[in-house]
Amino acid sequence: MLFNSIEFVFFFILVTVAYFILPQRFRWFLLLAASCYFYMAFVPIYILILGFTIVIDYFAGILIENEQGNRRKLYLVMSLIANIGVLAVFKYYNFLNQNLTALLGSFSANNPIPFLKILLPIGLSFHTFQAMSYTIEVYRGNQKAERHFGIYSLYVMFYPQLVAGPIERPQNLLHQFREKFDFDYGRVVEGLKLILWGLFKKIVIADRLAIYVNAVFNNVDHHNGTTLILATFFFAFQIYCDFSGYSEIAIGAARVMGFNLMTNFNRPYFSRNISEFWKRWHISLSTWFKDYLYISLGGSKVSIPRWYFNLFFVFLVSGLWHGANWTFIIWGAINGFYLIFAIITQSLRSNFDKITGLSRLPKLNYAIQILLTFMLTSFAWIFFRANNLPDAVLIIKKIFTQRGPLFFEAPSMLIFPFLGILMLLVVEIKKEYYNHKFSLFNNDKWIVRHLSYAILVILILLMGVFDGGQFIYFQF
Amino acid sequence: MLDTIIYNIKKNPYRLFLAKFIIFLSIVFIIDFTIGSLLNYFYFKQKSGYEYRTTYSLEKTQADVLIFGSSRANHHYRPDIFEDRLNMTYYNVGRDGNFIFYHYAMLKGILERYAPKIIVLDLVKEEFRKNSNSYDRIATLLPYYDSHPEIRSIIELKSHYEKYKLFSKIYPFNSLILKISIANTDFNKKRSPDIKGYIPKTRTWDQPITYDTTDVRYELDNKKIEMYEDFIKDCNKAGIKLYVFVSPYFIKLNHTDYSIAIGGEIAKKYNIKFYDYSNDSLFTSNRSLFDDMVHLNHGGAKVFTDLVVDRILNGN
Repeated sequence: MLFNSIEFVFFFILVTVAYFILPQRFRWFLLLAASCYFYMAFVPIYILILGFTIVIDYFAGILIENEQGNRRKLYLVMSLIANIGVLAVFKYYNFLNQNLTALLGSFSANNPIPFLKILLPIGLSFHTFQAMSYTIEVYRGNQKAERHFGIYSLYVMFYPQLVAGPIERPQNLLHQFREKFDFDYGRVVEGLKLILWGLFKKIVIADRLAIYVNAVFNNVDHHNGTTLILATFFFAFQIYCDFSGYSEIAIGAARVMGFNLMTNFNRPYFSRNISEFWKRWHISLSTWFKDYLYISLGGSKVSIPRWYFNLFFVFLVSGLWHGANWTFIIWGAINGFYLIFAIITQSLRSNFDKITGLSRLPKLNYAIQILLTFMLTSFAWIFFRANNLPDAVLIIKKIFTQRGPLFFEAPSMLIFPFLGILMLLVVEIKKEYYNHKFSLFNNDKWIVRHLSYAILVILILLMGVFDGGQFIYFQF
Repeated sequence: MLDTIIYNIKKNPYRLFLAKFIIFLSIVFIIDFTIGSLLNYFYFKQKSGYEYRTTYSLEKTQADVLIFGSSRANHHYRPDIFEDRLNMTYYNVGRDGNFIFYHYAMLKGILERYAPKIIVLDLVKEEFRKNSNSYDRIATLLPYYDSHPEIRSIIELKSHYEKYKLFSKIYPFNSLILKISIANTDFNKKRSPDIKGYIPKTRTWDQPITYDTTDVRYELDNKKIEMYEDFIKDCNKAGIKLYVFVSPYFIKLNHTDYSIAIGGEIAKKYNIKFYDYSNDSLFTSNRSLFDDMVHLNHGGAKVFTDLVVDRILNGN
C-alpha cells in the first residue's frame, strides 16, 4: 500500500480512529494487525520472511540477555547471520551469481550454480537493519530484551516506517508502544501537516521530476550532455523529495498517534561539505552505520590509513545496502572517496580560502561550498540512477563532451519541475536561515495557517502526478 | 451563547480538531470550486491542441468519415484524399498515446449525437496488452465526466476511487493548467496546426529498418478486448461501415503481433473488414515514407491513405 494512494487515506483514518477509541492494552494488537495488513498489501507471502527474522531475533534477544560470556556473543552472531542470510539470499544471491558467471565466463568456464527466480521483498533492508539494531543493543546492554512477542513484532513491523524507514533504534521506539498517548490536538495537527508536506514533496515535486528523469535516463543514447546535466540536477531533487517526502509522511502518521520517530532528513542540500551532507541525509541509516559498523571497526581512534579504510569501507557497504548492482557500489565508493579527500585536503582548502580572499567573504564562501557539495553529490547520483555501469559512463562522457538543445516534449515538462523545485527551495531556505521570521505554515493567525495548507492541497490537485509510481527507496 | 459553544469546543480536543478540520475542508472546497470552475470554463474555450480536438470530436463534429486511434491515426490518414475521393466530410478523432478505452469513449459520445457513415479504426501493436499506463491515459477523459454520462463507466475504469476523486473540481484538470493557459492566449498561434484533426509529420526517417524477432505472447487485457468488441457491435448497431486498419511500421516483423491477430479474428467474427499493413513491403522497403519508426510522414500518409480509400471504394 503506497502512502500516496487513496487506499492509504482510508487505511490511515480507520487505523487512527480505532487507535484512539481502543483502550491502551489492545492498541499494540491493532497496530500489529494493521501493519501486517499494510505489508501484505504488497506481496502477502513475504510476510513469512519477516515472521522468520522476528522469531529469530525475539528469542535471540532473550537468550543474549539471559546468558553470560561467549554464549551471548554466539547468540548475537547467530541472529546476525540469520538476518544477513535473508538479505544475502533475497537481495544479493543473484548479483553474486551473475558476477561469478561473468568471471567464469572470462575463463571460458560455465557457472553451474542456478539463479533464483525471486522478487526482492519490499523494504527488506530497512526492517532487517532495524531488527539487527535490536539484538546489537541488547548485546551491548543498552536495551532490555523485549519479552512481549507482540510488542517486539510491532517494533519491527510498525507500519509507518516498515518499508522505507526511518530505521529506528529500540531505545527510541520500543518503550513508546507501552505508553498511553491521548488524543492531543497540537500533536495531531503537527502530524497531519508533516503528512501533507510529505505528500506535496512526493506527488508535486518528485513524481513530476521523475517524468523527465526517466525519459532521459532510460534512453541515454538519444540525449545530449545538456539534457543529461538537467536530468541529473532533476534527479538530485527527485530522490530527495521522494525519500524525504516518504519519511515525513511516515513520521507524521506516527506523530498523529503520539509516536516520535527519528528525523531522517535535515535539508541536506544546504550542507557545506560531504561530511555534513551525510549528517543531514538519511540520518537513520548514516547513524546506523556509524553506531554498528564504523565504531565496531575502530572508527577514527585508529591509525590514519586504517581510519581512511574504515570510512571507505562503510560507504562501500552503504552503497551495497542500497542495491545489488555495481552502480550502487561505485556510488558508495565515490562518497567514501569524497569524504577521505575532504579530510586530506582540509588544511589545503583552508589555505586556498585565505590566499584567494574567500575567507574574508564568508557568505560567498558559504554559498560556494554549498554549491560545490551539491555538484559533488549530484555527480555521484549519476551512478545511483543510471540503469547500468556503461550507461553511467556514457552519461558522464556526454556531460563533459556533448552540448546541444535541451530535450522537452512540452513546456510543462520543464515548467512544472522548476516551479516545484522553486517552491521547495523557498520553504527550505526559510527554514534553514530565517526560521524565526514570518511563517505561513506556522503563522499566529489561524486563517493564514489554514489558507497556507489549503493552498498546498490545491497545488497537489493542480500540479500533482496522480499516476506516479512507487517510492524509490521501496526497492531497497 | 456563541461563547459557550466556542468554550465547549475548545475544551474538548476532539471537538476542537473536528471544528477546525471542517473549517479547513471548507476553505479547500471553496478554493477548489472556484479554481476548478475557472479551469472548466477555459478548458472548453480552447481553440487548439489535443484537448480542443477531443472536445470538438465529442461535441461538435458532424463529419461523414471519422478516423479513430492513437497518434498513428492522427498522422496516417489524410483528409484531402478522403474528401476528394469519397466526396464525404472528414474528421480525425485520434489522440496521441491513447488506447481502445479512449476510442470507445469517443464513439459512445459521438453516437449520442449522430451516426457517421464510415469509421476507420487504426489498431496498434500491443493494443490489447495488459499495462497500467493505458488506464492512466483515461485521465484525458476526466474533464468530460460531468457533461457526458455515457462515458462515465469508461472513466471509472481508471481506478476504483475515480468518482470520489472527482468530487474535486480541479482534479479533472490536473496538470492541464499550462496547456489551458497557452490555448487561451497568443501562444496558441505557435502550436502546430491540424487539418481536421490530421497532423502532418514532416521529417524523413534516416535510420535503417529495425528487425523485431521477439514473438512474445504477452498478457492480454480482457477488458480491452471486450471494449474492442463493443466498438464493433455499436458500429454495426448504428449502421456504420467500420474498417479496421493496422497502418505501416518501419519495423520488420517475423511474426504477427498478438493483439493484431486477435483484432483480426474478432473483426472476422463480426464480418468487419480488417487490413493489416504492419509488415507491408511497400512501406518496410521505403524509409522515405516515414517520420520515425512508427509514424508515416506526410508523403507516406498520402501513399497509405490512397490504399485505404481504394479498400473502401473497392470493398475488398
